[in-house]
Amino acid sequence: MHEHELWLTAIFNNRLAGLANSILGLVHMTAENPQRPWQNWIVMELLVVAILLILIPVLKSGLSLDKPGPLQQLFELVYQFLIDQTREVGIHHGEKYAPYFGTLFIFILLMNLIGVIPTFESPTMNPAVPLGLAICTFFYYHAMGVKEQGAGRYLLHFVGPIPALFLLMVPIELMGHFARPLSLTIRLYANMFAGEQVTMAFLGLTKLVIPAIFMGLHVFVSFLQAYIFTLLSMIYVSIATEHEH
Amino acid sequence: MSKRMVFLVFVVLLLLATPVFAQTGATGTTNWKPVGAAIGMAIASGLCGLGQGKAVSGASEAMARNPGATAAIRFALILGLVLIESLALYTLVIIYTVN
Repeated sequence: MHEHELWLTAIFNNRLAGLANSILGLVHMTAENPQRPWQNWIVMELLVVAILLILIPVLKSGLSLDKPGPLQQLFELVYQFLIDQTREVGIHHGEKYAPYFGTLFIFILLMNLIGVIPTFESPTMNPAVPLGLAICTFFYYHAMGVKEQGAGRYLLHFVGPIPALFLLMVPIELMGHFARPLSLTIRLYANMFAGEQVTMAFLGLTKLVIPAIFMGLHVFVSFLQAYIFTLLSMIYVSIATEHEH
Repeated sequence: MSKRMVFLVFVVLLLLATPVFAQTGATGTTNWKPVGAAIGMAIASGLCGLGQGKAVSGASEAMARNPGATAAIRFALILGLVLIESLALYTLVIIYTVN
């Protein structure tokens, strides 16, 4: 079901197979099929990165204070939305974290939506991609917590509210902390995968209108899941950097 | 009286499912994976539906009672719904992992 190669993946496999094998060799791994090492998800992810790398300089060159164009207004909307969300979640100066949350939101949104285009596939449909994002978030919120509060005080938070119970609290807190990237991964992966499977299932049943309705639902779920991933990252950063006043 | 009738009808319907056990004699190797997957997913989706129904009901009542707080309530509602939804999705992932 997943072995079908997209046309872009085929181009990558025909031209750049050696590059992929050497990169994998750097980390002592081999591809499943060394003749055709590029997989759909990595090619699609690189495509989304390429789109963003072209879009952002275009945006930057057109920035204007007096007469903002539609692209600038769109990004200002996204930025303001994210800053408002950080305030709602309890982060005091959200602008510090806006680069990470903005990147996360726009990247996940674009990755989710690229699957709607006919010959492309959402890279978030493969569990590796949401796992990578979740691991980034995991390290980010710990790093922000340590930066905000210092390493010692941050580690002391694992003890919980009552220090005498630390033997009980530390394992529970650690398990909770490791459950977070796991749940982020599975939530994003399962939503995107299930959305595509449902559309495929209905495409097998009724060819005309019903699959389009489910595809519309999938687009709505893409927005929602990108928002929820970013929101949960904000909540984790907020918990890690909170000061007791 | 009607509750007892409903219960008896339910029991009879369940007893009608006994042909399921007939397969074991024929081949000796039944594939329980799809059955387990179906039952597990059905339970997960049903309970998820109940939970989300309770969340939406609470949110609707709160919005009706206090229209000024609609934005905050809507935020909590969306967050709650997505977290409950993800619990049903964990079951779906287990199904795809096992099968």
